Amino acid sequence: MSDHAPARSPQDLDDSIAGGIGESPTRPDGALKVRGEYAYASDLWAEDMLWGATLRSPHPYARIRSIDIGPALATPGVYAVLTHSDVPGENLYGLKIVDQPVLAVDVVRYRGEAVALVAADHPETARRAMERIEVDYEVLEPITDPELAAHDTTLPELHPGGNVVRHQPIVKGDPEASADVVVSGLYTLGMQDQAFLGPEAGLAVPAPDGGVDLYLATQDLHSDRKQTAQALGLPPEKVRMTMSGVGGAFGGREDLSIQVHCSMLALHTGKPVKMVYDREESFHGHVHRHPAKMYYEHGATRDGDLVYVRATLYFDGGAYASKTPVVVGNGTTLGIGPYAVPNVRIEGWGLYTNNPPCGAMRGLGAVQPALAYEAQMDKLADALGMDPVEVRIRNALSQGGTTPTGQVLDYPAPVAELLDRVRRLPLPAEHDSAPADIRDLPGGASNTTHGEGVVRGIGYGVCIKNICYAEGADDYSTARVRLQIIGGEPLAVVHTAAAEVGQGLVTVQQQIARTELGVERVNIHPNDTDVGPAGSSSASRQTYVTGGAVRNACEAVRDVLLQRVAARSGESIGDLSLSGGKVVSSATGVLADLADVIGDDVIEETREYHHRETYPLDEELGTSERAQVQHAFSAHRAVVDVDTELGLVKVVQLDCSQDVGKAMNPEAVIGQIQGGSAQGLGLAVMEEIRVDGGTIRNASFTDYLIPTILDMPPMNIDVIERADPNSPYGVRGVGEPPTISSTPAVVAAIRAATGKALTHTPVAPEHIIADIPR
Amino acid sequence: MIPFDYQRADRADGAVAAVGVRPAAAFLGGGTNLVDHLKLGVAEPELLVDVTRLPFDGIDTLPDGGVRVGATVRNSDLAAEAIVRQRYPVLSQALLSGASGQLRNLATTGGNLLQRTRCPYFQDVTTPCNKREPGQGCSARGGYTRYHAILGASEHCVATHPSDMAVALTALDATVHVTGPNGQRDIPVTELHRLPGDEPHRDTVLEHGDLITAVDLPELPMAARSRYRKVRDRASYAFALVSVAAALDVEDGTVREARIALGGVAHKPWRANTAEQALRGAPATEQSFREAAEAELAEAQPVRDNAFKVPMARNTLVATLRDLAGEEAR
Repeated sequence: MSDHAPARSPQDLDDSIAGGIGESPTRPDGALKVRGEYAYASDLWAEDMLWGATLRSPHPYARIRSIDIGPALATPGVYAVLTHSDVPGENLYGLKIVDQPVLAVDVVRYRGEAVALVAADHPETARRAMERIEVDYEVLEPITDPELAAHDTTLPELHPGGNVVRHQPIVKGDPEASADVVVSGLYTLGMQDQAFLGPEAGLAVPAPDGGVDLYLATQDLHSDRKQTAQALGLPPEKVRMTMSGVGGAFGGREDLSIQVHCSMLALHTGKPVKMVYDREESFHGHVHRHPAKMYYEHGATRDGDLVYVRATLYFDGGAYASKTPVVVGNGTTLGIGPYAVPNVRIEGWGLYTNNPPCGAMRGLGAVQPALAYEAQMDKLADALGMDPVEVRIRNALSQGGTTPTGQVLDYPAPVAELLDRVRRLPLPAEHDSAPADIRDLPGGASNTTHGEGVVRGIGYGVCIKNICYAEGADDYSTARVRLQIIGGEPLAVVHTAAAEVGQGLVTVQQQIARTELGVERVNIHPNDTDVGPAGSSSASRQTYVTGGAVRNACEAVRDVLLQRVAARSGESIGDLSLSGGKVVSSATGVLADLADVIGDDVIEETREYHHRETYPLDEELGTSERAQVQHAFSAHRAVVDVDTELGLVKVVQLDCSQDVGKAMNPEAVIGQIQGGSAQGLGLAVMEEIRVDGGTIRNASFTDYLIPTILDMPPMNIDVIERADPNSPYGVRGVGEPPTISSTPAVVAAIRAATGKALTHTPVAPEHIIADIPR
Repeated sequence: MIPFDYQRADRADGAVAAVGVRPAAAFLGGGTNLVDHLKLGVAEPELLVDVTRLPFDGIDTLPDGGVRVGATVRNSDLAAEAIVRQRYPVLSQALLSGASGQLRNLATTGGNLLQRTRCPYFQDVTTPCNKREPGQGCSARGGYTRYHAILGASEHCVATHPSDMAVALTALDATVHVTGPNGQRDIPVTELHRLPGDEPHRDTVLEHGDLITAVDLPELPMAARSRYRKVRDRASYAFALVSVAAALDVEDGTVREARIALGGVAHKPWRANTAEQALRGAPATEQSFREAAEAELAEAQPVRDNAFKVPMARNTLVATLRDLAGEEAR
């Protein structure tokens, strides 16, 4: 952070931490957030700042003939109007494939693509100036069907090299195997939004060294810095980033939004520039979850043993690649679910179209196939006359089992146990006995039914998700831990670049430092690029990798301290430990206060944590000794009531069993499972970005619906801890699995209640009330 | 948003004069719809005359037994009024099913009647729309039409009226009091809103400068047992896919009188005259209700994405009538 930090960038987090690992101390940001005092990126302020705005394409696909900025620039109060020719460095960025222009040059590939920037003395001045930028478009016919984009060679190529971002086959055993019982289906999933509440925002401050200090909300400071520096034509050290308050992320902040734009305007005008998207712009300004079309065929013996799974998956990546390659990787490698299957053939396609770009969202690439493979397992159970849970348990993957890529799981995989546990959780009461509270019925207080036409159904879903980066990425995080005496008390300062996006990472870091160093005050230093990379708060990975890095740095600090005391006392270092602010010997008891050992010193150590190496997939067969470092599993049971006359659904209860390896903070684990389940419920019954002709038709929270507290039922949550011997403290990623297994469970319950096939998710009234072809 | 002037009116005649003389002037009530449209560029008034301080915030019993609701009465207050809850429960229920608590605290009675459609093409100024700009063409036809009309649409417009309150008022045969540049007049609420025809830019029969001052609810004993049912995609804070406002008067198992309006199906709150006619004198049975509903919907013309609204409207209407008849029987 620079010496002249803008107003509302420090957060003033509480540095007293009341519990160590395995306890549930209060969050240091919790009281601030519930009191409305936590500063989000949209609260950033500098006295002499300008406001930036982005002109976006109104067309999904068009050629740009010309751009006239003259009238806009002449607007009083306007300081800058910039186009592609003003991009100082490389006018391309991207997380995996560098294919997206900072500002469009001669073509726009999606509705909402950035074309020009304005800086002005007031946001309204900037907006009016944008209306005076004259862009002459030649409108082209957009490509909107990803399956066509994969196979129709007559379509225009949206990018050099064609419209296929990634094509990945996975083959195991005999890809042509046959079986006695065969079920097949075609399943589709709509586009889901991350629906974070805090819109994209940041404040760029030009620095005297020709660089820029950017304060912003993001998931990954160093990834942003790398891409931004490249586009600005600056060395990375001249692009310094500091985290501001993040109002939710869920993957939607992995790609760049305001970063380069805001910095360009600040560098160009020499003034601080703030950008904040409004809600509509936010819908156009971040990626969404990939819609998918999935063809599945399962073959089994008459006893219910899976013989083969064959599938073809199409993921609509939209106009730019973003995380599409990873979605294809995850979607294919996890495409059969948490089951042991001897013969597999999966083909995954990630495509360019002129639809809105799709990228990271909680459950990345694993959400889509889960809807298909779990529907297939129910179909198979039905064909076999078996119980749906029994079929799943019979085929469940377990420790020592092999994935379709040939990876042997050398850690617990309690899939069968989770299924068995979730079905044993208590069920809700039936409605029959007493008149129901209308709020518990489909439609709720809308007064649509008093119980007539209402049918109950129960459904199950279980999933597999890889944790951390995969397929050969060097996945690591960095932590700097400093121990010193402040006011006579030891204070640890933990400095990482790891983003607190609401998941509770700040608390977990405090807990680790408290446990490892035996101190009760742990300050979380603001996240910035002065410390090494932490990677993204995604892939359920931060407690694993940043937790590991904080642990390593704490151990290094502790080693320094203990060596010092061992040398002074003559005790063996192996007998020493830190507890309650004191150095304790197992042989002779308390040896010294930390305050006396440290004095005026500052003990500071920086360490990285790298997880075990992973390896790429074979391009033809998808094989890999270890494609993914860890897998996580959760199982849901949904109980729904469906008003079959009106097609309305009330999820009555949603229960979950999940293996978390080690619950670092049990209350936070419950919170993650509740939140993930709510997001999965939303996808099951209401969340869909309506894209028509390449354009979003519901870019607001009035029209894009997410569940409210009235839609979210009570949950029974059953957390088990089967430690992963390879991970710090045995942790297993928590955040994503409940988002994945909840959706198929809810959809299965609606199928059970209605007998409808329900091949599209989210399920809407029209799918239940009448057979409207989709 | 374009720059605009703002005035706060303290007299109705002054407000009417101020708006009447400027073609690009508009009244501002609670602002829950107009302010959105200002931001989206859908509405570009040069002058806003704030009418929320006019003395139209009363709810009064009339000598003839009806109730007069002032135009600036907030939706929350109207829904909570004891006389409304007792004598016109359909209105209270309709209000409470609309929007959110925060929006209902702002929204006014007059403003609610004048809400404009949530058709996504109307709200997106980059797409053609006959309602926004006559003659441009209708982008919804052939586009995303899940929320659109199944009754009374025209080739020029297939939008729906979004209000819940107006559906209840339509079933109740309310009367709208208007004062305008040419004096005062009363308009039956059933005639306030228009079908799109070839003038889809006109939502209502009001002329520029006309100000709604009050809404009268007629004395209607059968309305004491009235219902509003709203079918929507989540349990709160969502617009209606289909809604039904209904009151039923049944004696000895025979329907004497029915009042029915449908929401979410047309450019205006849809008074179900055909169904009412079919029910009068008919036995109060599931079969009569179904026949009446089907008669009302016989002319329905769904577009690409809303065929489901026909069975949904039918089933909602039947369920509402069944509910009301069952209550009568008790």
